[in-house]
Amino acid sequence: VPARSGGAMQPPAASPGPAASGAELLRWQWREVQAPCLVAAWILVASLAKIVFHLSRKVTSVVPESCLLILLGLGLGGIVLAVAKKAEYQLEPNMFFLFLLPPIVLDSGYFMPSRLFFDNIGAILTYAVVGTLWNSFATGAALWGLHQAGLMDPGVEAGLMDFLLFGSLISAVDPVAVLAVFEEVHVNETLFIIVFGESLLNDAVTVVLYKVFNSFVELGPAHIHAMDYVKGVASFFLVSLGGTAVGLLFAFLLALITRFTKRVRIIEPLFVFLLAYVAYLAAEMVSLSSILAVTFCGICCKKYVEANISQKSRTTVKYTMKTLASSSETIIFMFLGISAVDTSKWAWDTALVLGTLFFILLFRAVGVVLQTYVLNRFRLIPLDRIDQVVMSYGGLRGAVAFALVILLDRAKVKAKDYFVATTIVVVFFTVIVQGLTIKPLVTWLKVKRSDHHKPTLNEELHEHAFDHILAAVEDIVGHHGYHYWRDKWEQFDKKYLSQLLMRKSAYRLRDEIWDVYYKLNIRDAISFVDQGGHVLSAAKLALPSMPSRTSMSESSVTNLLRESGSGACLDLQVIDTVRSRRDKEDAAMHHVLRGSLYKPRRRYKASYSRHFISPDKQERQDKEIFRQNMKRRLETFKSTKHNICSSKSKARLKEKGRKKASAPQPFPFPSQKNISLTSDASNGKTHRNVPWQEAAPVLVMVSSEEEESDSSETEREDDEGIVFVAQATDEILQRKTASGSLDVCPSPCIIPPSPTLAEKELPWKGNQADLAVYVSSETTKIVPVDMKKAWNQSISSLESIASPPGIESGSQHRRFACPVLEEQSQSVSQVMPEQTSCFQFPSHVSKSGRSQSDSSPDSAEQQELQPLMAVEDQGRMLPSTEPKWLMFNRAGHL
Amino acid sequence: LPCAQGAHPHHLSLFSPLAVTSEQIEHLHRRFKQLSRDQLTIRKENFDSIPDLEFNPIRGKIVHAFFDKRNLRQESDGLADEINFEDFLTIMSYFRPIEMNMDEEQLDHFRKKKLKFLFHMYDSDHDGKITLQEYRNVVEELLSGNPHLEKESARSIADGAMMEAASICVGQMGPDQVYEGITFEDFLKMWQGIDIETKMHVRFLNMETIAHCY
Repeated sequence: VPARSGGAMQPPAASPGPAASGAELLRWQWREVQAPCLVAAWILVASLAKIVFHLSRKVTSVVPESCLLILLGLGLGGIVLAVAKKAEYQLEPNMFFLFLLPPIVLDSGYFMPSRLFFDNIGAILTYAVVGTLWNSFATGAALWGLHQAGLMDPGVEAGLMDFLLFGSLISAVDPVAVLAVFEEVHVNETLFIIVFGESLLNDAVTVVLYKVFNSFVELGPAHIHAMDYVKGVASFFLVSLGGTAVGLLFAFLLALITRFTKRVRIIEPLFVFLLAYVAYLAAEMVSLSSILAVTFCGICCKKYVEANISQKSRTTVKYTMKTLASSSETIIFMFLGISAVDTSKWAWDTALVLGTLFFILLFRAVGVVLQTYVLNRFRLIPLDRIDQVVMSYGGLRGAVAFALVILLDRAKVKAKDYFVATTIVVVFFTVIVQGLTIKPLVTWLKVKRSDHHKPTLNEELHEHAFDHILAAVEDIVGHHGYHYWRDKWEQFDKKYLSQLLMRKSAYRLRDEIWDVYYKLNIRDAISFVDQGGHVLSAAKLALPSMPSRTSMSESSVTNLLRESGSGACLDLQVIDTVRSRRDKEDAAMHHVLRGSLYKPRRRYKASYSRHFISPDKQERQDKEIFRQNMKRRLETFKSTKHNICSSKSKARLKEKGRKKASAPQPFPFPSQKNISLTSDASNGKTHRNVPWQEAAPVLVMVSSEEEESDSSETEREDDEGIVFVAQATDEILQRKTASGSLDVCPSPCIIPPSPTLAEKELPWKGNQADLAVYVSSETTKIVPVDMKKAWNQSISSLESIASPPGIESGSQHRRFACPVLEEQSQSVSQVMPEQTSCFQFPSHVSKSGRSQSDSSPDSAEQQELQPLMAVEDQGRMLPSTEPKWLMFNRAGHL
Repeated sequence: LPCAQGAHPHHLSLFSPLAVTSEQIEHLHRRFKQLSRDQLTIRKENFDSIPDLEFNPIRGKIVHAFFDKRNLRQESDGLADEINFEDFLTIMSYFRPIEMNMDEEQLDHFRKKKLKFLFHMYDSDHDGKITLQEYRNVVEELLSGNPHLEKESARSIADGAMMEAASICVGQMGPDQVYEGITFEDFLKMWQGIDIETKMHVRFLNMETIAHCY
């Protein structure tokens, strides 16, 4: 296109030239930039047109985009023709095959649902190979018959070979057209994969057939020997199998290369495109089927490549591929339209056109019915009549046919002009008429549609189990069927191929179930944050009955106010209660911030590097959200079985029973959650859950502590243990405050809701002072912006609510503390003295905690950082307290 | 052949209206004898002799299902020690493909039968509910093929799945509400997205190439 475009843009192109004499201020350099500029202009026009099409939902829901694009192309072509007096910008076969087709084929291969594809490979291959052969020969022969019968214009000079050649190029169902239409129709996935897989593979068949017949035509019918037919058949197999082999080879190379790109993440996507393209070119070079090469390269490499490359690269690959494919598609359809206006290449013959249209429809239908009849004898899920109708009707022809017909040599194929005209009509007819009507047809026939819901974790699990069951049953029955071989392949893949082609880290974690689980959670979490990210919104804060988060943030704001207001307080009791309360609220605030306002905290250095992308901020945020979300989900999910299974040994069960009896008070709290596993920082902190959780979880925690000690991978947390015990008492205070306020003031907004309580342990890893400073500084930054209203509200609520429970709580906690402490001492007897002392002098504890952290700045820093950082390292080091917990940890790890 | 006559009525109902050709039963019987070493019944140990089964991560559950009386006879419960050929066929009949001429009701029945079989596989303590613990066991077994994935992640996956099940089946739960486990009704709900009737089948009922190599 670019090369031929010289004359088209005459006004700008012609004007510069002679005016230039002497030194030039500016020079008109149209010729230099002409080619790329035109390409860019076309893409721009096409993309803008797409935007326009999609402005109206009504139009695109009725008319497939491909139709609109063709119509647009017709319009543009008409304009160009009118301006330039001759048709410009034709679809050039070379451009089509070298640049426009590969992205589309790669896209469809790479994103092909491979499981589904291989599940139906038998049917797909049958339709693609047998069906295409049948269509070519039948159409060609029938047209020849028509010609022989004298129904065609005598100007159509063509023999049997020419018609067979034409038949082969016209019989290819085009993946671009099929995809464009079927993607919008949403038929069920089996039907889709069969039609689509067929269209993808039969292109290869078509191209091979085309080449064979073309060489026959060029030889001339007189010079064809029997040997040539044999060669033709042999080349057919050679070309398709060879193409596939090239594809597999490059898929292997690609997977292997991406295994070693850890340090150069930025060029990962490039490899994907480059190698796939090289596969295409390599196959083309040795005249093997390049379409098959790219298709299989895409299908086979995906699993390994996706596992190897980073999340970002994955997204990049996806988007780039989709962008390329979609722009190629757009350009193809547009150029189809433009090419159609060029009447100089046309030679109309009504009989040929109508005959072709009739025969391709007829033979496709006949072929589908016959093949389905045969296939259904072998298929366990038969394709029913409606499927067959859709399959017959979905045989859209497209750009491949057009490019192939343009490629014909007019000197050898005398009837080329007739064929071109016929092809254009056929393409237009199938894309526009069939494309327009297939949707109503599908609706009218009540074809089983695909309900495209997102995959759930349960479904994935069940399907996974299912595969194993089916394979096992085949084993038991002693039948080596599909499941048997699939199972064998998977074992082989796991043992050798994946090990060779996947990064060690990726290989370890690679598991479909886990993948789904992870993705699901990320998606879920993101959507949660999208909707509920505004937990701090004023409206929500205003509601007094708002649960957990809201009241939490309110009280934190309250507390911040109080903190800034009162400089010093001499009353020890007050300090005591206020202190603990503030701590708690700080924690809560911290938590809220952490959950909802992660951005302000994550300030990255503005840096630029061409070769590296700065650390994955988004990923970290995702992880954070992920953990956050899991926490939330766990809170809302309760299963009594949880507790039972957490404590395994009988001894623990007994203990549990006893403790239940000893501490029954917390049960009635309606907001208490049954599950005690909400900590998402390191393990050491989880221990501190113990005291203030309700009875059953207390025991669970204890027992799981024990469990941990024997099952933990690392044993080096001994000193941590001491630290956490000290803090545990601190927590007891917290809890008491909480329950105290509850008792005194039943208003729901004061009830320290359990989720946040459960989470609050994070910021406490040792030094409250540091944290307090940290949190408050953060809040002052944020509050004015985000929580003005909330701030005001909490001012008003400050006097009425906040103070009384705070004061009361001191006595309250004393009342309740004893059983808990006893409980503690029962399970962890040697720490009891510490606990009591801490309990009586809580401020001392915090002080000592501070000094401790001061003395070891390193650890202090770590601790401070810890809640902010993803738990990557921490999670590894520390053993788990509670099984549940690991899931966050795991996510962070991932 | 003991079963060709279809001694039990329920057994007949499983097969009808899909007549099984005697040839297919013959194939299965040959295999049965192979497994049982020419005995009249198969015991659990007989399954150990199948080499390919060895690598199956949920082997235990599957073999268990063969001896689960709930799968064998509708009213009874518990575990059988040994199964005869008829029972063997009954189990196999769960893996029949659908037929073209089935109507909606039959399809639904068919689907439920298959799902019931799966449900029993998960519900190992026969209480009509898949509890979290049971689910965890299954997931752990499923993931046991991957030595790098720790038990903990299997657990968390099971927990996540359970939560999902709860949210699918119960919807929004109150704070005090407790999700005990997946009942069969919930199980049906969860499988809504999967066309089990088009998936849970093995080509053993029209097999030409039964392997005699063991």
